[in-house]
Amino acid sequence: MSSRDGPTAGWTDGDLPANARLGHGSRISGPDAFKRFFSKRDVALSLGDLSRTDGVKFAIGPQGRVAIGHHCYLNDCILLAEQEISIGNYVMIGWNTTVSDSDFHPIAPADRIADAIALAPFAEDRVRPKALCQPVLIGDNVFIGPACTILKGVTIGDGAYVEAGSVITRNVPANAHVKGNPAVIVSVDMMK
Amino acid sequence: MNGDLRLYGCRRLAHDWYDGVIPDNVIFDSSNFIETSYSFRLFRSRMEQALTLGRSAAIYANTMFDLGPKACVEVGAFSMLNGAAIICDEAIHIGDYGLISWNVLLMDNYRAPRSIVKRRAYLDAMLSDDHSALDLQECPRPITVGANVWIGHDSVVLPGVSIGTGSIVGARSVVSVSIPDFAIAVGNPARVIRYLEAPR
Repeated sequence: MSSRDGPTAGWTDGDLPANARLGHGSRISGPDAFKRFFSKRDVALSLGDLSRTDGVKFAIGPQGRVAIGHHCYLNDCILLAEQEISIGNYVMIGWNTTVSDSDFHPIAPADRIADAIALAPFAEDRVRPKALCQPVLIGDNVFIGPACTILKGVTIGDGAYVEAGSVITRNVPANAHVKGNPAVIVSVDMMK
Repeated sequence: MNGDLRLYGCRRLAHDWYDGVIPDNVIFDSSNFIETSYSFRLFRSRMEQALTLGRSAAIYANTMFDLGPKACVEVGAFSMLNGAAIICDEAIHIGDYGLISWNVLLMDNYRAPRSIVKRRAYLDAMLSDDHSALDLQECPRPITVGANVWIGHDSVVLPGVSIGTGSIVGARSVVSVSIPDFAIAVGNPARVIRYLEAPR
């Protein structure tokens, strides 16, 4: 089935999870979109009107939430949310970009051993040690190029332009143009 | 050979997990390997020879051809795309004996305009399935990858770039300017760190 010929709202490759909310004309495509969607929140994923995701993977943990505004276009990226990823309006995120709001594993060596044991097969009843989570907030009109990595706790200001291959470890001010690993500010006044 | 495939309607791959077909304007023959028709999910080119595979070129899983209506892509003989993304609105040429690793991205167009006002207009049109969105895109700048080029995983090749014969691009590089022949280029942005001896 072609993503272009699919229905005007919904998920083109299956039944939308009950805790996903799509605005008018919004569309999710890609068979792997919800393969790692484990959220138990009442509203775990929301898309505003006329937003579209092609091949995006929503890897959302039990307490995680992803909110995407209207007129956004996300292409083949991975959103890893254990807590919250919030994306504004008119945002574009390019290919192979990863956005995560969590470290996924603890930092301390002993805790990481406990985590590895809890994650081993047949260990469903073991409780995992806590990993650091901080929400990722992406403003309006933001462009994030292909192959970028957005790490936990980062706020990307309105109108920022993130070049291809950037790794964002710190907040990006509004209208800033950033690139590199770790990303540095090239200019603070992207053309309007 | 390709004519035969068309004649007998063999545009469906026997081993495919995805329920799709290889578009008619993909030129290939029985020496080629295509792992899945899923690679053509975003294939919209209307050109007569939208994708041409050279002899024994191979397209492995996770490769994606996101081709606009006027895109023409050539993959040379004995080249392999091992899970790369080809984003093309005009032309991307990959030479013979190319080794293109996983999650490598070759794009001849950013598609989205850089200015916020134009980008909003583009999103408004595109998300309403309005074809005027194509006119609001940035102009594509073709990419040429020479023969015998090896591109390491997770690298990005940006619009207008050419990579010379025999060169290597290190893993996770961002190639924003052209790379000469027989060079090793690495980093973000990619810079030449060394030259290879050209074969005689």
